[in-house]
Amino acid sequence: MKKTPFSKILVYLDGSEGSMTALMYAILLASSVKAELHASYVVNTKALSELVKARVFVNQEKLEYMEDLKKDAKRHIRHSERLAASKNVDIHTSIMEGSPHKEILSYMKQHGIDLLVMGSVNAIRSRREELASETDRMLRTAPCPVMVIRDDYDIWAEFEEEI
Amino acid sequence: MTLLEAIDKNLIKVPLTSSSPKDVIEELVSLYADKAGLLAGKKDEIVSRVMARESLGSTAMEKGIAIPHAKIDGVSKTAVIIGISRLPVQFGDSEHKGSRIFFLVLAPEDNPSEHIQILASIAKICSSDLFVRMLESAKTADDVYQLFFD
Repeated sequence: MKKTPFSKILVYLDGSEGSMTALMYAILLASSVKAELHASYVVNTKALSELVKARVFVNQEKLEYMEDLKKDAKRHIRHSERLAASKNVDIHTSIMEGSPHKEILSYMKQHGIDLLVMGSVNAIRSRREELASETDRMLRTAPCPVMVIRDDYDIWAEFEEEI
Repeated sequence: MTLLEAIDKNLIKVPLTSSSPKDVIEELVSLYADKAGLLAGKKDEIVSRVMARESLGSTAMEKGIAIPHAKIDGVSKTAVIIGISRLPVQFGDSEHKGSRIFFLVLAPEDNPSEHIQILASIAKICSSDLFVRMLESAKTADDVYQLFFD
């Protein structure tokens, strides 16, 4: 029997519209190749801690943002479950905390993920490493193929009833 | 949206002319208000929100940098307004010698992830002594803009 190209797909959710588009592609792809679908949102506690350390945030603010991020994560995870259900696709969802690119890398290794799907990465507009985003870092460090989804509004029509 | 996508040449002012924290915030907010076409009432509301946040604890960091910020109702996308002062402005407590480089970040209420990423990127790039020195010596908004897109 011919092996399917991808058997375990992970889509990274970061609260952006681009990551929701990536989720839609991942759902349709998982459905067509009969792959197991995972979706993860990482609450970026590393950035929060760095902002407190740099004195940009006070502790009270850190806690407030942490709550905001957790709510945002739950909202996106619930939405991804609804979208997957609308296409009869099972989805394994998770919310993690830490440095997004490190948590995603660790999740991929732990679950044997063989395709990472993400929203569009940024154009290279600066040579400064400090300005690389989390998705840039994921793209560079992923141990498996990565599918980068460009903004595409056509696919939203496929899920119109669920949005 | 990333920091680089949020940076706008029209939202950079060199040099700032104000000498007190509140005046610096007003000068930076005015730049944004002019660009966004805000009414005076909304501008005052933004200044109040930013000052209220500063009252919880100054956002002045080491190396003469301050990153005042606030979540603002009605802002549709994160705005980064940059100002460089020729003279240090005593921003917050007396622990620091004063701030010359200001990044005012105004964010929508509903996108915490993006707001945090942008603030973290500013803090990260300002950890470079060389970058900060280059920012300090920038003579025009163009110079500042170019530093980010080098």
